[in-house]
Amino acid sequence: MNVLLVDDEEKFVSILAERLSIRGIDTDWATNGLDALSMVKKKKYDVAILDVKMPQMSGIELKREFEKIDPAMKYILVTGHGSSEEYTKGIAEASFYIIKPFKIDFLIEKIREVMGT
Amino acid sequence: MKNDLGIICAEGLSFFGNSNRLISHELKNILAIISETLGLIDELIELTDNGMKLDPGKLRSLSKSVIEEIERANSIIRSMNSFAHSVDEFITEVEINQIVRLIIKISKLDPSSRNTKIFFEETSQLILHTSPFFLGALIHNAMDFALLCTGPKKKIAVSSLQTTNVTKIVFSGLEDIKGIFPTSKAEVLAKAISAKIMLDASSGELLIEIPQTMEEDLIKNLVL
Repeated sequence: MNVLLVDDEEKFVSILAERLSIRGIDTDWATNGLDALSMVKKKKYDVAILDVKMPQMSGIELKREFEKIDPAMKYILVTGHGSSEEYTKGIAEASFYIIKPFKIDFLIEKIREVMGT
Repeated sequence: MKNDLGIICAEGLSFFGNSNRLISHELKNILAIISETLGLIDELIELTDNGMKLDPGKLRSLSKSVIEEIERANSIIRSMNSFAHSVDEFITEVEINQIVRLIIKISKLDPSSRNTKIFFEETSQLILHTSPFFLGALIHNAMDFALLCTGPKKKIAVSSLQTTNVTKIVFSGLEDIKGIFPTSKAEVLAKAISAKIMLDASSGELLIEIPQTMEEDLIKNLVL
């Protein structure tokens, strides 16, 4: 299973990727949409975990670009926001919509659910 | 008058809600970083039980990261505290640069403004007798508009200066004006503190002019 994390907070995304890797989940990361798009063009990812609010391209905008490249990719959206309006928008776009901070075991559970494993 | 009061209240609430949303979002991001970092430290220590060597340099770097995030959170909470205290006294003596600095800090928390550089050219203390909360709301309103209009350079310069009876806050670097400003709501907000807003599209500048002492009638109706 290959996972791609995209979040503009480098400290968060790099450490989360490391923790997932320790648990045997092959994880790459990017801090912006352009870099992430470049990575998706070169490697197949099963799941993309995307921060919703990013400076240049939002997680939802990025998801739409990914869908053009790999329609089979699954998505988990992550956010620090918690409004019900944003939840409704988010859950319409992805399999799961998770609010930070979260426990890593919870994220792994969601990754496994999305993959059907 | 009643309609104006309604607009002032609504704009005030919007400013309050939006600022708190930005602050809470940022604090959640910081908590997420701290949580992940401490989780990783914990896992690396556990891996030593399986014979893996722990790199002290890595541990030091992760610990330093936690300390940095705590300092970042502390800075945000100080801003939040200043913001909360801006309603302690409805109308009072206000140091302008302090309010501008606070609004810039809050505006920078918005992910959409992260790629824009905001420079604040401070002068010496500029004191006015006005409503700190509604002045902050007006500056925030202006900043939101300025952030939309930076063009490709993505830079805003903010400066403050005082002449005999008036203090001016100037936003420069608006190279790609989008929309109209002031909006009718911004005008009412300005009126509430007797301020004027002027947009000079040709020079790319947005100016807020605030008198030394505001007319208190409109705002006073909010507290009576």
